[in-house]
Amino acid sequence: MKRTDFYLKLIDALELSSDFSMDAVTNLKNLEEYDSISIMSIIALIDEYFGKKLNANEFKEITTVNDLMEKIGSENFE
Amino acid sequence: MGCKLSAIEYYLPEQTLTNDDLEKEFEDWSADKIEKKVGIRERHIVGREETALDLAYRAANKLFQYFDKSKIDFVLFCTQSPDYYLPTSACILQDRLGLNVEIGAVDFNLGCSGFVYGLAFAKGLITAGVAHNVLLLTAETYTKHINSKDKANRTIFGDGAAAAVIEEAAENHIFEFVLGTDGSGWDKLIVPNGGLRHRYDAGAIVETDESGSSRSANDLFMNGPEIFNFTIEAVPKLVAATLKKNQTWINELDYIIFHQANSYIIEYLRKKIGIPSDKFYMDMTYTGNTVSCTIPIAIKESFNKKMIKHGDNILIVGFGVGYSYGATVIKF
Repeated sequence: MKRTDFYLKLIDALELSSDFSMDAVTNLKNLEEYDSISIMSIIALIDEYFGKKLNANEFKEITTVNDLMEKIGSENFE
Repeated sequence: MGCKLSAIEYYLPEQTLTNDDLEKEFEDWSADKIEKKVGIRERHIVGREETALDLAYRAANKLFQYFDKSKIDFVLFCTQSPDYYLPTSACILQDRLGLNVEIGAVDFNLGCSGFVYGLAFAKGLITAGVAHNVLLLTAETYTKHINSKDKANRTIFGDGAAAAVIEEAAENHIFEFVLGTDGSGWDKLIVPNGGLRHRYDAGAIVETDESGSSRSANDLFMNGPEIFNFTIEAVPKLVAATLKKNQTWINELDYIIFHQANSYIIEYLRKKIGIPSDKFYMDMTYTGNTVSCTIPIAIKESFNKKMIKHGDNILIVGFGVGYSYGATVIKF
């Protein structure tokens, strides 16, 4: 998946405004929208597009969007 | 010899907790966002002096307004909130409900899969000739286990009880079961203290998690991401195996009822499995997740709202704490 497409899907999953500027260094933990409810949406996104699962401990280790992409596997992004 | 689900009722405690109530208590909690995401507007909360056994008693009495209770010859009671370690709650219920003494009565400890398992037990008892009319009760009061500062779990769970009769029938109306257990998830939904492994600890430290919910080891803990991962993995396989065992297809079924965990999770599962939305029950707006009671509540409401009728074939699917899961097809 193209990184820019992933950012758009993540913006949608987090219910951020459509003009939100996201990139690899965006700090998810600083976002008010990144909570236990939105993590469900991210789990669904990862399952639907990558067929992968991240456990709760892996989510704890994620700070930035890049951390999330590395957990999913950088080979999945272009 | 066969069996059928012949009567069903439910009871919800009077007190409610609305999203507006939660928004007032937790300033960063948005009522609109909660309802949009998890499909819950309010939950019923058991009274301080009231227990799951009391709720089950009320649900059973609703059913006995039209079903002759002297016919009941076995009571199955599913709860994870018993009045006592001992005696068995089902024994207390036999007496309080005025049922015959020449009957069997047992409790079983399961959560969201409990109603499906109860049907499997009832079918076994009836087809083995042990019983003829089984009273299956499910009652849950998770709110008693939840810390008052745990906004996440207070949002999801509500209390309630359901009563059903499974009776002997010439033709089988409860078909093949697929049951599953993955105990490796035992600690993902748990009340750590209060049993005999770890006694209730009055000095247990209250900790606040990353999303701002607080709880101690005396309280209910749910690892939401792990539970969702489990359901994504287990439920599609469970549905496929149940359809195969019953030699049927989704398009041959009249209706499909999943445990009402929260609307986001079950809507995701619906799409992933490919179930049409018009034959899929989804309504926990005024109940929340009532654990082992969501499926019987959904069956009753589906019938009341004419979404199902007598003679319909319905797939029911339960999954949750344990991890424990199960599904079957019933002809209502």
